[in-house]
Amino acid sequence: MQKKSASTYILFIILLLASIVVVMPFVLMITASLKTSAEINASVFKFFPAKMQFSNYPKAFANSPWGRWFANTIFVTVLATVVSLVTNSMAGFSFARLQFKGRDLLFYSVLLGIMVPPQLTILPTFLIMRGIPLTGGNNLWGQGGTGLIDSYLGLTLPIFAGAFGIFLCRQYFLNFPDSLDDAAEIDGAGVWKRFWAIYVPNSKPLLLSLGILKGTYTWNDYIWPLVVVYSEKMMTVQLGLSRFRDVIINWELLMAATATVMLPLVILFILSQRYFVSGLVTSGMKG
Amino acid sequence: MKYKHNISGHLMILPCYVIYLFFVLLPVLMTVWFSFRDYDLFTQSNFVGIDNFTRLFTDPLFLVSVKNTFIYALGTIIPQILLGLLLAVLLNTNIPGRGFFRLAFYIPYLVSMVSVAMLWLWIYDPASGVLNRFVKFIGLPPQRWLFDMKLALSSLMVMGVWKMSGYNMIIYLAGLQQIPPQLYEAADIDGISGFRKFLHITIPLIQPTTFFLVVINTIQSFAVFEQVNIMTDGGPSNATTTIVHQMYERGFVDFQMGYASSMGVFLLLITILLTVFNFKYGREGQDLS
Repeated sequence: MQKKSASTYILFIILLLASIVVVMPFVLMITASLKTSAEINASVFKFFPAKMQFSNYPKAFANSPWGRWFANTIFVTVLATVVSLVTNSMAGFSFARLQFKGRDLLFYSVLLGIMVPPQLTILPTFLIMRGIPLTGGNNLWGQGGTGLIDSYLGLTLPIFAGAFGIFLCRQYFLNFPDSLDDAAEIDGAGVWKRFWAIYVPNSKPLLLSLGILKGTYTWNDYIWPLVVVYSEKMMTVQLGLSRFRDVIINWELLMAATATVMLPLVILFILSQRYFVSGLVTSGMKG
Repeated sequence: MKYKHNISGHLMILPCYVIYLFFVLLPVLMTVWFSFRDYDLFTQSNFVGIDNFTRLFTDPLFLVSVKNTFIYALGTIIPQILLGLLLAVLLNTNIPGRGFFRLAFYIPYLVSMVSVAMLWLWIYDPASGVLNRFVKFIGLPPQRWLFDMKLALSSLMVMGVWKMSGYNMIIYLAGLQQIPPQLYEAADIDGISGFRKFLHITIPLIQPTTFFLVVINTIQSFAVFEQVNIMTDGGPSNATTTIVHQMYERGFVDFQMGYASSMGVFLLLITILLTVFNFKYGREGQDLS
């Protein structure tokens, strides 16, 4: 017993040191965001600012339309999350609980998509977006204008569905008992009614996990907005942050902006840790 | 399942599948199509046969990016998985503060690569960055981390491992919780040491998780782009340029869509090859256990 508690003690110390090393960049980011420029560049490093410069935060956001960028990001994140929850769960339900022609073949083609890194498809996805007919000045054949480039739909359409989301929903719906379908069928409940009245209300953990994963992905995404957004008014916070560095090189302001862009996700994570982890885990276990 | 739901079944997958078709499957086919063509985004594209591919293998810049991508992948995949496993094993015990530790190790994975890149740009800053202050404090010479040809790629790799280990930890934790505790209890009765339990029970039983993580980490590490684009833009002197970074530069900066697509095809082939290799190796490993 004595030996066991000693080893636990050592393990605890090791983990504590490791976690301090891992978290330290974030702590330094916060303290830096409250320092003056002079303090950051001083030859002697002090951990805490002499006087907390909360004014760094409004200053960081003063010269760019950050309000608009935050609003864009929130709108795009909510839109992508809500729509993808509906489409993915419908598709997952269909693949898991219904029988129809070509089902397995279609599902295998979805599985293939899990292997394709999103970075790989940005060039053609850009071309498809630009060539969508009757949008952004395009004619019926998708020519002459800019299509959905630089629009909200352009930002979100490609992430309304995803191989991973379909897969996750299918795995979840496979676990429902067959008797549930049988009973509903006898009561005369059609497929749609069954989906909306039985499956959706009983899938809260699935919908929350997937919603959180999709929301995080959309909030954090950089490469697709980088490609599809041209104008300042359509930018997301990640683009704003990446451009920030080119405009201002004051570290304390950059750290204040970085901390603010992170904040919504960290709050969301703390509030919903359980679903976060279960979503990741389901994705991990059945991969 | 006794019922046929042809129309409803198709209708329910329709919205999702159409989007999937147009934004995942079709783009993959288009990448292959454009890799045999010359296209500047504006005029008609022309068929050029395998010109793009012959150019790939004679383009010193692309060859450097392939080398960098492989170094980055090799240098990140193994540490990420090992650290993830180590943390998961330690946190799967009844250690106090377990919830806090899990949160602490997971946060780097949670936040965006852009935020992380900004943060580490400052950490690595030669003049006011924290790392050089620390290095000086322990009596070593300060370095120009991201501006030094020999150090830049390693600096990106360290940041990558810091960001991704928490993800591997969470997935491993889930895998560890699937192992029936009776196995360890039986081993305890037989007086088997902790390390041998780890070697002979834990490692074989979490092999499916390891396999999954190898595949996922491989796909991600080979597609490394964001940190390169934000932190170094491929520099100094192309020391950190990667395949996807070259693809982006050729496609969206130089408007050489065809040539950029051939890089995409190259990356896709590598990814498929490694995934197939992983599957084969993973399967063999599972047979052994």
